[in-house]
Amino acid sequence: MESKTCTPRLLLTLVFLLLPISGRSQEAPVLFQPALSPRIASYNIEVTLESAQKKLHGRELLFWHNQTSATISELQFHLYLNGFRNTRSTYMLGTSNPVRSRRIKEDGWGYIEVDAISVSYDTEMIPSLALSRPSEAATMIADLTDITPEIEFIQPDIESPDDKSVFSVPLPRPLPPGGKVIVAVDFTAKLPEPPYARTGAKAEYVFAGQWFPKIGVHTDGQWNCHQFHSRTNFFADFGVYNVWITVPEDNVVGATGLEVAVTTNDDGTATHYYHAEDVHDFAWTASPEFVEVTGKSQDVDIRVLMQPDHADQSQRQLEAAKLAVRYFQDWYGDYPFPNLTVVDPRRGAAASGGMEYPTLITVGTGYGIPAGMKLPEMVTIHEFGHNYWYHLLASNEFEESWLDEGINTYTDIQIMPDAYPGRGNFLNAMGLVLDIGTYHRAQYMGLPDADPVNRTSWGFYSGQSYTVNSYPKPGLILTTLQNYLGWDKMLEAMRTYVERWRFRHPKARDFFDVLNEVSGENLDWFFQQAFETNSILDYSVTRVFSREVKPPKGFDHTLSTVDSDTALTRTDKENDSSLAAATDETDTTARPDSSSPGQLYESGVNIRRLGDFKFPVEIEVIFENGETVRESWDGQELWKKLRYTKPTRLVSATVDPDGKIPLDVNLTNNSKTLEKQTLGVNKISSRTLFWLQFLLEAPETMHSFMLLNDIF
Amino acid sequence: MILSSIKTGLAQVWKSKRMVLIFFLANLSFALVLMLPFRAAVSNFAGETLMGTKLAGHLPIDFIFELMKNNKSLFSIYGTLFMLVPASYWLLSLFLSGGAFATFARGDGYSSPAFWAGAATYFGRFNRLFLWSLPVFAVLLCLQFLETGFQRLIFGSDPYEYVKYWGGWVKYGLRVISFVLCAMVYDYARIHVVTTGETRMRVSLWHGIRTVFGNLGRTFALAFGLFLCGALVLAIYNPIADSLAAPNAFVVLTLFVLQQAYMLFRMLLRLTLYSSQLFLSNKLAGAPAPLEISTDPQGLEGAAA
Ligand SMILES: [Zn+2]
Repeated sequence: MESKTCTPRLLLTLVFLLLPISGRSQEAPVLFQPALSPRIASYNIEVTLESAQKKLHGRELLFWHNQTSATISELQFHLYLNGFRNTRSTYMLGTSNPVRSRRIKEDGWGYIEVDAISVSYDTEMIPSLALSRPSEAATMIADLTDITPEIEFIQPDIESPDDKSVFSVPLPRPLPPGGKVIVAVDFTAKLPEPPYARTGAKAEYVFAGQWFPKIGVHTDGQWNCHQFHSRTNFFADFGVYNVWITVPEDNVVGATGLEVAVTTNDDGTATHYYHAEDVHDFAWTASPEFVEVTGKSQDVDIRVLMQPDHADQSQRQLEAAKLAVRYFQDWYGDYPFPNLTVVDPRRGAAASGGMEYPTLITVGTGYGIPAGMKLPEMVTIHEFGHNYWYHLLASNEFEESWLDEGINTYTDIQIMPDAYPGRGNFLNAMGLVLDIGTYHRAQYMGLPDADPVNRTSWGFYSGQSYTVNSYPKPGLILTTLQNYLGWDKMLEAMRTYVERWRFRHPKARDFFDVLNEVSGENLDWFFQQAFETNSILDYSVTRVFSREVKPPKGFDHTLSTVDSDTALTRTDKENDSSLAAATDETDTTARPDSSSPGQLYESGVNIRRLGDFKFPVEIEVIFENGETVRESWDGQELWKKLRYTKPTRLVSATVDPDGKIPLDVNLTNNSKTLEKQTLGVNKISSRTLFWLQFLLEAPETMHSFMLLNDIF
Repeated sequence: MILSSIKTGLAQVWKSKRMVLIFFLANLSFALVLMLPFRAAVSNFAGETLMGTKLAGHLPIDFIFELMKNNKSLFSIYGTLFMLVPASYWLLSLFLSGGAFATFARGDGYSSPAFWAGAATYFGRFNRLFLWSLPVFAVLLCLQFLETGFQRLIFGSDPYEYVKYWGGWVKYGLRVISFVLCAMVYDYARIHVVTTGETRMRVSLWHGIRTVFGNLGRTFALAFGLFLCGALVLAIYNPIADSLAAPNAFVVLTLFVLQQAYMLFRMLLRLTLYSSQLFLSNKLAGAPAPLEISTDPQGLEGAAA
């Protein structure tokens, strides 16, 4: 663990000691001095929940700092909730499950309206406004220019004229580099019910994600403010958030950052004031039903908000969160924030589960999920992992989704087996055994080559291709790379990447550069194939043979069939099947095959590269006398033939004998044996036969499969 | 009465051991038909690889995914086989059950002509009986919806997950009971056909229903007891079979023997159920058991007329 840039916990304690338990005015703590991130977009937001209608009434003050070298003449904002506005939004048109959108009830749709937007250049006021509630600050800002009539909905990515997920608005006067602007926005939002794609409400439960007008990122000389696509996560600038959330008084609230104070109001509501620094998003949740459990892992305070019907799993969820914090801090670097909130979504609101926000994650479990089913643990580890790749590093997930989800899947694949050793580190229940790597490999094999990994999220062939290329495939690519570089080097590279690029929005090239630098090797040959092409990696041993060497005939031969045991010969000629005798310098352990003393055998192994992906591999050849030969092949050509002359027959040949290349789409063809291998075939046939016999005899037992659907 | 029924049933089965073998071989051969394309695919895919040996240990799930991905034709083969083979097997079992009931009704042990004549005699009637029984089965299978209804009534449309969870188990239990009841009704109706020579299947079905529900405690205890017996032995069998995972010919052979022993036991159980139910049915009807009946189809048809 590294030391913090300051001592936020100490500061925090002091601040809390000075705070009234319930009161109007509250000073937010200073968490990070100096700031950890370039605070480009900071927000003060007041939001009131209208419980019955699932509506949010909000007022937002955005302090935006032009840290680019460009003069800005317009602003662009995301209105994510408009993805759920109707069936004609970009989100709904792109969804791979249109049936689901058709099933949304009339009052189940969500939307967000900008009621008013105005701009001020009165930046002198910013320091004094920094912690002010927008309703109080409005009167303090001079020069507010109403630009509401100038709002224009735009669709920068794909044509989708009815989409209202992005709007542009011209500034009254251009903002030069280094300039600051205050934007005041009044908005009304309706959350989808039940939650849809991460956000929404269900009965008494509210989960507000992507809920406020959010400015895009100005980078590379232009606005990067993509439409809300069905297949995407997000991208935003860092800043400081002060958010006042007003909900019914009996609600338990959880949100990004730290709760500074709670104020009770006369109308049966309470206002929860949250403060977060160096974050790029803000989500909150409220429910009177939450069961709260707290704990601590290393220097991080953890608060778990469980549903009452999952209360018996609170400790399990807390332990998973503790484990996640421990692993990530130990392996990948410091998590600089003092706390983490873990939210368990309500029954019927699973769509709000399994999502990441700065310092707040939503997970997912179910009543009665057995301990051997590690899905809740995996989701918790995964979502906390996002607090590194999505939050600290904050890559552009619209354009390079794998930099978050893919690296995160890679870290899942490393952590799960280490945290839960033994068979079935992902699932070991009800007779089913599944490892996390196998689970991801199965997904990957479903569609390994429809697209290159590095694509805009809406540019993939299909939803399945987006998923494969954002999650399991990059996870397996990086696991393959780790096996190539070695654990220590890979870990060092990952730590360097986190350390160097935190709060800086790295791109794929930045990640590759760190790996090249730390490994001391130019790995671009690997990155190019793995991320920029759809190449398949598949090596196969296609033929093995052993035959007695017959006495030579003709003129001028040197090979003897009755050589001594040191006269082992081998040829290793790439792309050349001809046999030539050469003394083997490496094989000194061989014993002559006792069954046929003096007899020499010519043995051969043919290996083919069936896919376009070129990757160096090892080949292991085993002989009858127990001798094992290891060869290396750079995999550049389409095939390789190995030839041996030894006083023993060959037994088997295996490419990638240590299983270092999970990216290989067919592991079964990685080996070939001289003899038929019936033992395993008989075993699996025998087990299959038994279950077929049983099901023929008792077909009604098939109804047991319905049980899973009934209970979960 | 239950225990004496099982005891008599077992004794009857013991006298007809060859019948157990017939049922077992029928089951084995149909399962083999289903299994062989799978075996051929596995052998072709992995028979000359180290995976061919590795499969003798714990099943590598990767292999199953790779097998499915690289043997797409298996899906079309099994699409057809899974329709045809179980249906044919069901018909064959029905056919054989006629022989079994006839043998037990005679009470003097297995005799080949009597068995096959019985099988042939009742096959048509059992089929008709099955069609008649379908509405009854449908009603019985609706038993599970009692849970759905009560859950909705008591806990409303938005119950906590533990209500759904335990409700799911109750529903599962109700489905098991439904299946046992369906089988019981069909068994007692078949017993009625065989013992009385009845040709009007609605009469036998009605008799089956009356026997089952008129003496529900005893009929259900007998059938459910034997059902539990099968489930219990399966529960013991499973971990033992799972532990037999090693690349060793002896281990694989032991597993195969154990599997077939269990299936032989299932067949014994099924025939014991038939025989015990027949004994119980006669007891309940006050008739001396076992009943001597003719296996001559004409004679039976005549008797019923
Ligand atoms: Zn994720």
